[in-house]
Amino acid sequence: MSDLLRVDDVHKSYGDEEVLKGISFEMDRGDVDVLVGPSGSGKSTMLRCINRLTEIDSGEIYLDGENVTTPDTDVNALRRNVGMVFQDFNLFAHLTARKNVTLGLRKVKGLDKAEAREIADAQLERVGLLAQAESYPAELSGGQKQRVGIARALAMDPKLLLFDEPTSALDPELVGEVVEVMADLASEGMTMLVVSHEMGFVRSAATDMFVLDDGKIVERGAPTDLFENPEHERTKSFLQGLNSAHGGDG
Amino acid sequence: MIPSVVLQANDWAFVFANADYLLGGTVVTVGLTITSILLGFLAGFPAGAIEVYGDGYLQSAVRTAGVVLRGTPILVIMMLLFFVVSISSSAFVVATVGLGLRSAAYQSQIFRGALQSVDEGQIEAARSVGMSHRQAIGYVVVPQALRRSVPGFQNEFTIVLKDTSIAIAIGLSELLTRGQDLFLQGGHSTATLEVILFISGIYFVLTFVTNRGLDRLDDIYAIPSGENQ
Repeated sequence: MSDLLRVDDVHKSYGDEEVLKGISFEMDRGDVDVLVGPSGSGKSTMLRCINRLTEIDSGEIYLDGENVTTPDTDVNALRRNVGMVFQDFNLFAHLTARKNVTLGLRKVKGLDKAEAREIADAQLERVGLLAQAESYPAELSGGQKQRVGIARALAMDPKLLLFDEPTSALDPELVGEVVEVMADLASEGMTMLVVSHEMGFVRSAATDMFVLDDGKIVERGAPTDLFENPEHERTKSFLQGLNSAHGGDG
Repeated sequence: MIPSVVLQANDWAFVFANADYLLGGTVVTVGLTITSILLGFLAGFPAGAIEVYGDGYLQSAVRTAGVVLRGTPILVIMMLLFFVVSISSSAFVVATVGLGLRSAAYQSQIFRGALQSVDEGQIEAARSVGMSHRQAIGYVVVPQALRRSVPGFQNEFTIVLKDTSIAIAIGLSELLTRGQDLFLQGGHSTATLEVILFISGIYFVLTFVTNRGLDRLDDIYAIPSGENQ
């Protein structure tokens, strides 16, 4: 029970379609695991089940040894411990970058204005955006928005950070700044579960890579092993597809 | 073309001699607009929120009330409240309730649309930092929805302001009623057009000024957007 996260035989269906068909894995503190797999394989659904934005049908999920999928789990408390970074950023459109970060600190953690501001500014500095603290989301580039999104999640001091395709809505030239921030977090020991096809990030920062296909984890291993010796046919063809899609830079 | 025989200097003199009387009616009109819009907001905003986020009987009740109110002519509502139900002997109170409830039914739709237009991702982001559903709506959705309501609200404000004139049917001494009082006086029927032009001018100035004021409000609370988007 020393794992930070343990996912045990999780099933999830939408109507007749089963998107998660018995997923199990665990993560240690400080692990950076990346979920890869073809579109529709259940990656994002898996991620959203962990902070219960999506409810599972069966199975169990443990955070820090505690079952967080029981009916009397306090989901708001769970989400304080599990941050999430979204594909479409989802910054609060009516608030400045700083207030995007302080809102949760004020309303959820009940900090006073000065304390919240201090934490927000420290996190904005961490992602290199302190100078933009007074900017509104619509005044920021996509890469900047996503870094504010990361700062917002970090400010709550989560045990685990979930990243749902954090770079796929970005113009290619803006991907680097976000990946850099994520790699820094990884090297600082943040536990991260990432849905991403940024193979540069996977190679440099990932502890393990999970290959999902059709609602199941078909293969799991260190990125170098999977890239060099994929055992499963699906892994092989998927990685090949990625390489050609990314012009071989993966 | 207005024939010159209709517009006569002595009729205009009559209008201006009674300008104070008409301005008194204007005060009633403005007062009635404010109380009706306020009642409309206080009932309409929650009603819009219930239509979006509520469930069960409360939601059905709110929806049904809205459909009935929007489907009944304001003149009928007002006469019903005054002559049949007689909720109050004060025509001002009855007019406020009639216009206010009707406005609530329309304002609820303005707010419903605005609440629904805020992206679902905003709620998810708020929930993902641990906010309750109520907090997410209160701190994230509502502030954005209110800003998006301003254009529709502007429209509604103008409509209510002009529809206060319907209170003539229950004898409230507002602007149109007082205008009618003037030209129905013996010997002044030739001033009918002058009186109506004069009070139309007042209605126009009132709607113009409030619209400009709401434009300013819209500008002040607009969410800044740069050119980076």
